[in-house]
Amino acid sequence: MNTVAYTAFVAFLSSVLTLVSIHALSSPDATVPGNPEAITREELARHDSAESCWKAIHGTVYDVTGFIPDHPTPAAVMLEWCGRDASQAWENKRPGRPHSSFAEGMLERFRIGLLVD
Amino acid sequence: MRHHPRTGDLALAAAVLLPLVVALPRLGWPADDAGAWLAWVGRAAGILGLAMLLLAAATSIRVPGWDRPFGGLARLWRLHHALGFGAFVLLMAHALALALAAVPLGVPVAVEVLFPPLSRGPVWLGWLAWLAMLLFLAPTFGFFGRPRYQTWKRLHLLSAAALLLALAHALPLAGEAWPWWLLGLAGLAAIAWRKLFSSRARLAYRIEAVEPLARGVVELVLAPEGRRLVHEPGQFVYLAPLDEALSAGRGEEHPYTLASAPADECLRIGIKDLGDASHALQSVTPGSMVQVEGPYGDFFGRHLSRRHRLWLAGGIGITPFVGGARDLLARGAVEGQVLLIYLANRPERAYYLEELEAIAERLAGFSVVSHYYLERGALDAAFLAAHCPDVAEREIHLCGPPAMNAHLRRLLAGQGVPRSRIHSEVLDFL
Repeated sequence: MNTVAYTAFVAFLSSVLTLVSIHALSSPDATVPGNPEAITREELARHDSAESCWKAIHGTVYDVTGFIPDHPTPAAVMLEWCGRDASQAWENKRPGRPHSSFAEGMLERFRIGLLVD
Repeated sequence: MRHHPRTGDLALAAAVLLPLVVALPRLGWPADDAGAWLAWVGRAAGILGLAMLLLAAATSIRVPGWDRPFGGLARLWRLHHALGFGAFVLLMAHALALALAAVPLGVPVAVEVLFPPLSRGPVWLGWLAWLAMLLFLAPTFGFFGRPRYQTWKRLHLLSAAALLLALAHALPLAGEAWPWWLLGLAGLAAIAWRKLFSSRARLAYRIEAVEPLARGVVELVLAPEGRRLVHEPGQFVYLAPLDEALSAGRGEEHPYTLASAPADECLRIGIKDLGDASHALQSVTPGSMVQVEGPYGDFFGRHLSRRHRLWLAGGIGITPFVGGARDLLARGAVEGQVLLIYLANRPERAYYLEELEAIAERLAGFSVVSHYYLERGALDAAFLAAHCPDVAEREIHLCGPPAMNAHLRRLLAGQGVPRSRIHSEVLDFL
């Protein structure tokens, strides 16, 4: 049992270090622009349907159109927040409980710009 | 006799699975792709791992009698050890699987799952809990050699911090809070009992006599000063001597098997000089006080089968059988037949033998055979066949040094004795 525990510990540490090293050594992610596009509230409001669903969360705008069928909750829940500021929905996955850091990482994939007034 | 799972084991298994079962409707089944599957495994590993960590704390409790549904304290603490091991491995799998599940979204996302901005406090509390676990488990699993007992005991207190940090990590992130409150409180209550209240459960005894049995072996005779210990044959107690003249181990508790029968007025404990504390006890002052906590253990088991019994004792491992034989004498009858094979190096080291032979003379159904290593070598199949031809049919209890136990188990397996019929309790590192 002791050997297995030690092996698991070393394997875990190596895997985490590998992941961190790859991250540190790879070039910055090209999909996230250094100078994000400015998106106005009018522009955001035009994408309020299943055909094109944009959401603003804490000042950043995400195009989640392609993700609606994959999201765990019914599509109607997701569609309700299209074209609007959805920070409140993001912070209350269940009442008082925000989405996980895992979901936060996933959200980054859909980032398209910054909300401006 | 041991084919049915113990009630304690079933309750423990149910408690380990409870949070996962409660969370399953929320988790659902993973989708087909590898990322979703890994994320599911990561969550399930986290839930199971935390349940094991909290139950490892709960099973560290030491309350007389509570160990018996688990087959005795030695076995309960092996379960405790296994739960701690499971928690450590699963919680690492939990973090790694969740990070790897995010790799399809890009390595930066995967790294951020593990190391998010500091504002996501609960994730960092999880890391702190893991660090605390690493600190108190590294000596347990001997990562850097075997630790000193007292150092190990102090470091193990970090488990309380790991427990609190792990709960603080899980409660804001988990969907269902009540299973975590339930198991968390059970774990914390067990630690609080051990550290704060367990000393109140000790009984006061006075050392009436210190009777030498052989060189380096004495029998302590303990008279109750107040409430008497109620026990069964073959159980053990934690003994803390208070004699100010002791050269070592004063006030320290160590486990010793009771050699007295439950009906005896005084407790009797055979003690062999095996370490600093047991060495000092060889010359403990008669009349001084000791504290006794117990009884623990389930050596002879609660549900004796109707089979004849074979008792195999080596060295100081004779003590539970002395208790057993004295109990048979006090009852005046033996159910079925009991054969005790006493394995000693040479006749001078076969302490208690005269008394055991005297009991055998008075009791039909109880017999004693001695076997001397220096004359015959290790016990072999021929000796067993000569003295106990029906060995494969008997219920077997054995107690002795680890090398002897291992040898006897191999020998008995070779004679067709199923493992379920061999019973022993090893009191190491308790």
